[in-house]
Amino acid sequence: MSPSTVPRAARAVAMMTIVALAALVGCTSSSDNGSQAGSLRILAGSEVKDMVSLLEEASKATGVDVELSYTGSIQGAELVASGGAAGKYDAIWFPNNRYLSLLPGADSQTGESVKIMSSPVVLGLAPIVAARLGWDKQAPTWAQIADAAAAGQFTYGMTNPAASNSGFGALVSVATALSGTGSALTVDDIAPVVPELQKFASAQKLTAGSSGWLADQFVDTPGIDGIVNYESVLLGLKEAGTPLTIVTPSDGVMISDYPLTLLAGADEEHKQAFDALTTWLTGPAIQKRIVEQVHRRPAVAGVDTGTQFGDAVLFETPFPNTIDVANTLVMTYLEAVRSPSQEVFVLDISGSMEGERIEALRQALANLAGADTSTLGGFTKFRSGERVTMLPFSNTPGEETVFDIPAQSEGFDYGQITAYVDNLDTDGGTAVYDTLEKAYGIAKQQRAERPNTYVSVVLMTDGENNRGQSFEEFSAKWAKLDAAGIPTFVILFGDANVEEMAQLAQLTGGQTFDAIGGDLAQAFQDIRGYQ
Amino acid sequence: MSIAARRGIGVALAVVLVVGIGVAVVWGRNSGEAKPGDLVTVQGIIGSEKKPFFDDPEVAAVLARHGYVVKVRTAGSRQIATSADLSGVDFVFPSSAPAGERIKEVTGRSTSYAPFYSPMAVATFEPIVGLLEAAGIARQDANGQWLFDVGKYLEAVASGTRWNDLPGAATAYNTSRSLLLSSTDIRTSNSAAMYLSIVSYVASGNNIVTTAEQRDAIIDQMSALFLQQGFSASSSEEPFDDYLSQGVGSKPLVMVYEAQFLGQKMDAATSGAITDDMVLMYPTPTVLSKHTLVPLTDAGDEVGRLLAEDPQLQALAAQHGFRTSDTAVFASTLRDHGLDVPPLPVDIVEPPAFESLEVMITAITARYNTAVAPAKPASEPSSPTP
Repeated sequence: MSPSTVPRAARAVAMMTIVALAALVGCTSSSDNGSQAGSLRILAGSEVKDMVSLLEEASKATGVDVELSYTGSIQGAELVASGGAAGKYDAIWFPNNRYLSLLPGADSQTGESVKIMSSPVVLGLAPIVAARLGWDKQAPTWAQIADAAAAGQFTYGMTNPAASNSGFGALVSVATALSGTGSALTVDDIAPVVPELQKFASAQKLTAGSSGWLADQFVDTPGIDGIVNYESVLLGLKEAGTPLTIVTPSDGVMISDYPLTLLAGADEEHKQAFDALTTWLTGPAIQKRIVEQVHRRPAVAGVDTGTQFGDAVLFETPFPNTIDVANTLVMTYLEAVRSPSQEVFVLDISGSMEGERIEALRQALANLAGADTSTLGGFTKFRSGERVTMLPFSNTPGEETVFDIPAQSEGFDYGQITAYVDNLDTDGGTAVYDTLEKAYGIAKQQRAERPNTYVSVVLMTDGENNRGQSFEEFSAKWAKLDAAGIPTFVILFGDANVEEMAQLAQLTGGQTFDAIGGDLAQAFQDIRGYQ
Repeated sequence: MSIAARRGIGVALAVVLVVGIGVAVVWGRNSGEAKPGDLVTVQGIIGSEKKPFFDDPEVAAVLARHGYVVKVRTAGSRQIATSADLSGVDFVFPSSAPAGERIKEVTGRSTSYAPFYSPMAVATFEPIVGLLEAAGIARQDANGQWLFDVGKYLEAVASGTRWNDLPGAATAYNTSRSLLLSSTDIRTSNSAAMYLSIVSYVASGNNIVTTAEQRDAIIDQMSALFLQQGFSASSSEEPFDDYLSQGVGSKPLVMVYEAQFLGQKMDAATSGAITDDMVLMYPTPTVLSKHTLVPLTDAGDEVGRLLAEDPQLQALAAQHGFRTSDTAVFASTLRDHGLDVPPLPVDIVEPPAFESLEVMITAITARYNTAVAPAKPASEPSSPTP
């Protein structure tokens, strides 16, 4: 299944709320004959969504009821390690368990584990660019890639390492290679490689919170030469008609091995279901189909893999051995390496937002201003060099307020953001599109002022547009706004018009985030992965 | 059942058969043939590398004929020896003699069984063997057996050798990664402790480490062998499976139990997993992993006796690659599968005493922790937020 064949709206980032869970259960299917061989509730990363049809088949073949719920890799890891997944889920399935394994408590929360397949994180380049650089013949080192990036010889997209495993894996590989030690990265290795990492990051023109969405953006955005992603995603893109040369850096790549892992609290019945499912998935016939259908490498030896993976040796980057190395690397990347971002938050403060809703909004934004002290809170906080614009609206667009966070955020008073949202008062109607037009005016001006940044709009509304121009009118003038490349990330909240919001996201190259179940803070954090 | 693909990332006593352990009721043990329904359930805690053996339906069938259903959960041998909850458990079956001795001390038991053993070995690939031979780290003995010179290896690591420093690497294995053997996590896994037994012996001038002075002198060097690997798995099946399925780019050199390699070769279900370019080398010196069963109940004792004495169970153990106490069984089983019988390595040393090994592992564990910067403020769960 190619990522680009799935409608965007259907791939909204899943959140760990009951409603999202129910809406996104990928494959609850009972066996046809009615006999039950148990059930398995799996907490999974969005990276295994392309396995849903095979899981449905597995469900029929084994009689095991499979229920998938999706979450981000870091949220998932923290939930499992803290014991929060026990009892709610029987198993987990993420691209890998390495980050999780570094968290205190993980060992006692996880049990038997079976690797189902694997895929390295590599660079896909337009064939003409790969040939120009000579990388179609001779695999470059990460340092050579960084040099070519700094020299402006190619551009690429990569996911946010704080939000997505492929970006994180690429960051570990490139930092480890640039450190030049030949061994696992340590905390002390990180600061010295920042200048080289900046060279690498200077050619990055697309970011995303998920590997699949990045692939879509890459296809839809002209002028980007390459994409850092799972080999499986790149092969899927090739299959769907995007020509790519796969470049595997010679000094190490991160390989995800997709371990389906039983949680420690699972009982005998779930264990049997787990055994049945993993035995089915690792059988030679199914492994061959995994190779053919979802372009992963097999987890068991002796499976014919054909020619799609090439015959280059995949040198595996050693993974850090403490959580502090992993987290320091991500924080350093966010604060000192990547291009800063600018975003306009379009905030509905109409009458219907009064009460719990405005409180939830205040909390969500306070979290991004530092109130959430968890690891993920640290990763999603407004960062150094970022420009955050708040644009409230009700009957008409309000006045914008700009928070400019200096390159060294230490002296910045994040309390002014919290104070600002605390003072928002609710009243009146909902002029979504008049305000959005104003937001795009601001965003375009900000992009012109700082061309080398990621610029986006976030729309949070709890109801239908009932003032000013309609979606149709906005849609008709979209091309004239000349705002291509500035996506709107839409938070579905309260009584939002889901259909229209999905169209808006599609129109602007954005994405919807579901908070109708109530978890507004989670939705804001998820959006941070895309900014 | 495939030997591949079974493992636990948490060594934690994670496999959850614990519930209802107290009900390991002995219904009455009849000697001779057992009637269906009369089976006695026996609970054991074992090292993960023996799980494929206990999962083997043939093993279960033989045990059932003797009246037993053996249920096992896996744990690292260190964990079995130091922290496992043994209530309701009929036997423990760690992978080393020192761990077995320790459990006997702790539980006050005097008997133990050593039904099979396995030398530690290094799984690698043809091109790597060629590079190591040219570098003087590997050589072939008169029998054609490949030997891995631990002393030369430690010198190469100490001087920071990269793979592409070796003559011939440009075509055979062109990467700037450090020449480093992969093991399991020293903090949890027995096979890593066996590896430490080997390297500590060589680093101490071919002496078994017994004193604090000896330990202090080598601890930096020993720590580096583990820390430089980065993340390592807590179960010995995992690096071996990576070796099999991901190959030379992931695991050019991996410390394994000989039984893992031989068992994989004999496993009909996965025949073809060991390809022609895969080579097993024996470290000089090496240590023997003596799988030691310590019975905690009469039923556990009987299972131990059966594993050690029953010819069918011994043959099945040999099929899983273990060297049996009756060496003829091991040899004939390998021959039956068309394999050459590897001679037992001659250069074998004893592992340090349990306490001595334990002190070294604790010291290395502390290095992992000091590699961590000052703790961040206590974090709260990231989600859900009210």
